[in-house]
Amino acid sequence: MNEEVETSLLVIVLDTNPAQRLLRERTHNLTQCLESVIAFANSHLMLKSANRLAMLACHSRSTEFLFPPPPAAFGTQAAMLRQVDGQYELFTHVEKTIRQSLQQLLMRDTKSEPVGSACESLLAGALAMALCYIHRLEQDLSSGRNMNSRILVVTGSADSASQYMSYMNVFFTAQKQNVTLDVCSMEQDMSLLQQGCDITGGLYLRIPQLQGLLQYLLWVFLPEPPIRKKLVLPPPVKVDYRAACFCHRELIDIGFVCSVCLSIFCKFSPICTTCHTVFRSPGPLPIKPKKRKIKLN
Amino acid sequence: MTTSSEDVLLQVGQVRYKKGDGTLYVMNERLAWMMDHRDTVSVSHRYTDIKTQKISPEGKPKIQLQVCLHDGSSSTFHFVNRLGQGAQVKDRDDVKELLQQLLQKFKCEINKELEEKNRLLSENPSLLQLYRDLVMTHVISSEEFWSQHALQYMQKHQSQKQDIGVSGAFLADIKPQTDGCNGLKYNLTADIIECIFKTYPAVRKKHLEYVPHKLTESEFWTKFFQSHYFHRDRINAGNKDLFTECAKLDDQELKKDISAGIEDPLVDITSFEDKTLDEGYGTGGDRSCGIQSGNIVHQNMIKRFNQHSIMVLKACQQNTLCHSGSERLEQSGVPEKQASQSNESSPGCSDHLHTAKKLRIQEKLVYDDLESDSKMQHQGTELSLSRVERYLHGPMPGSCEDVLSEDDMHAVTTRLQREAESWCSVSRPQPTALVNPAAAVSALGELTPGGALMKGFEEESLAQLVPADLERELKNLYMSLCELLRHFWTSFPPTTPTLEAKAVRMHEALHRFHSARLKPFEDRVLREFSPLSQHLTSHLNQMLNSAYRKFATWQQRKMQALR
Repeated sequence: MNEEVETSLLVIVLDTNPAQRLLRERTHNLTQCLESVIAFANSHLMLKSANRLAMLACHSRSTEFLFPPPPAAFGTQAAMLRQVDGQYELFTHVEKTIRQSLQQLLMRDTKSEPVGSACESLLAGALAMALCYIHRLEQDLSSGRNMNSRILVVTGSADSASQYMSYMNVFFTAQKQNVTLDVCSMEQDMSLLQQGCDITGGLYLRIPQLQGLLQYLLWVFLPEPPIRKKLVLPPPVKVDYRAACFCHRELIDIGFVCSVCLSIFCKFSPICTTCHTVFRSPGPLPIKPKKRKIKLN
Repeated sequence: MTTSSEDVLLQVGQVRYKKGDGTLYVMNERLAWMMDHRDTVSVSHRYTDIKTQKISPEGKPKIQLQVCLHDGSSSTFHFVNRLGQGAQVKDRDDVKELLQQLLQKFKCEINKELEEKNRLLSENPSLLQLYRDLVMTHVISSEEFWSQHALQYMQKHQSQKQDIGVSGAFLADIKPQTDGCNGLKYNLTADIIECIFKTYPAVRKKHLEYVPHKLTESEFWTKFFQSHYFHRDRINAGNKDLFTECAKLDDQELKKDISAGIEDPLVDITSFEDKTLDEGYGTGGDRSCGIQSGNIVHQNMIKRFNQHSIMVLKACQQNTLCHSGSERLEQSGVPEKQASQSNESSPGCSDHLHTAKKLRIQEKLVYDDLESDSKMQHQGTELSLSRVERYLHGPMPGSCEDVLSEDDMHAVTTRLQREAESWCSVSRPQPTALVNPAAAVSALGELTPGGALMKGFEEESLAQLVPADLERELKNLYMSLCELLRHFWTSFPPTTPTLEAKAVRMHEALHRFHSARLKPFEDRVLREFSPLSQHLTSHLNQMLNSAYRKFATWQQRKMQALR
């Protein structure tokens, strides 16, 4: 047993928020996404028998584990473990469990009354749950075994500023725990998640067409992080790390930072609105007297 | 061409040069020859340009003198005195003798300069490279290079050297070498000598007294190392010595130091000792008497060590008046004998000592910055933040997320549910291919190098395509060009005539560089590394072009102003 098998844990976060434009316009897209992701998940399991998988569905109001199923539901699932079409039982199990859990999640959605118009995906929360799950598995890991963990986000929504702090916490935790964050964006450019990918050393890919989703997933995201260095993969995107000013919350290139409380402003104001420190205005730049042209004749 | 200030040291008539008769002049700084009945000098060599002189061998019919120049050319003078060969030889020898003296004088000067330049070049590889690129390709002249581009190196050389401290082990570091026959050889560097002088001022005094007049430098040092003074511990006898006096002086110094005691209470280890009052009730303090009764050789040794330490520390304090605690602590290693005497300091000055001690301790205990800081906190306002939540916000949510009405949301949800119903039905239609071939191929196309998603990959690989030597060459090109450009831009705005001249000159140099260095490089790259083509030099060209543009506009303005 000299050969040490390194486990690779893949946690997939699938955005199933009905507010995504992709789903609103064509509900069949969800089926396609789901099928692609399941196929991708099974490919991951197929690579090594030690590989592990988890999958979360991120909805507008809740996030739930699709796989592995919650322990309560496990009893009913076990009966279904029968070979179908010569497919490996584990794959069948993964496929069926995920489908069923997501179906249940969607069915439950109508029963609970809609709350307000908050319809953004709770991606940060889903990421946090994924991190917790990874942490738990790492704790349970028997000594002498290695596990590399990563989170793959498959989403069609834009990133929301209201979850900014949660995002940042998640990113830095992931970095601290050596968890790679990959993002496969199906529609929007997500500058926040780009930062997360950059910090954790993951890949960010915005796919140009949904049709080839499975192809993109297999090509770019299937190899586990330690192997990626050896492959020719899309280069990291230039990440926009600009800060937002406190006054208008707009991204600024050059701003004024209060030396006392480190608040950021896009315009100079003599009194910092956060800590009320009074600053002297930087006087007008001395204007040089214009040189008169000397005629040379 | 001859200026009146130049003295003619020797004038020899009837000298033939290139089949013309004339007069040879040996002047202060150059050798000149003038044709008869002309008033212009046709041959003139500066002595600094002359490498050597040669004479025709004895017995040859022609009496000649040849001067070879540094640039490889030479001139031959034929002495044709009508008075016969004897006079010719005499003429020639006169010139030769004088020339020899003069050349010697100038050679020294020129050699020093050359050596200096050589040293600078060998010490600064980047300067050497610059020299190679700019001077050897005739982009700029050698003089210009030394006067302008190497200026900072020359100046750096002239900067003041920092005074080094004295190492405690400097005497031990002089490793004598045995020469095989019972003798020792000491290698003394200027640094070591300086150290000895600093540590033993008495030796310096002796050195001043003796060296040039009574002894030579090496004799002095031989005596020093042979002397009883240096080997005091090993040889006890012998007193007729140059340095006996030194020893006496040193002893006096030491005594003075001991009696002065240690003024710093923090390093005075005797005061650290616990003193009980029950034995003698504080009157009998001289416990060190018991320890003193050791071997006299040991005592001498310890005394010597202490003295050495004191001297080394003093040497450090002489030029830097700061006394850091660490140095003092070293001194605190000075034990027993000295310490015991510091106890006996007279009670008269104890008051003064007391305040000094207090001050010293105060100095160690009180920190200015801490003090003022705590005061500040009492006076200053506390940080009161309002609207803390602003720290927690990211940028404004983008305009993209259009708000859905509840109905819409509901409709989408129901549709999704309908979609989901089909997932788990047993009679689920066999899934069609998840990816159709066309989509897969296009996705692969995008992900292979050169595809739409692989932008930026090419630029990275450019670095791998450039071989090391090419990279080095490019680096050199950059260095040279930047140097030239730097000088070009410093001449702007050209307010004075010298600056104007410099701008013109640098502009020409840039052009020369362009044609002599950049163009060949570009051609080579194009020939050998065609995929790189213009990528590598595009920035260089850009810099050059902006300089050319600046020059052109300046010239244009000047013309307009003139009109």
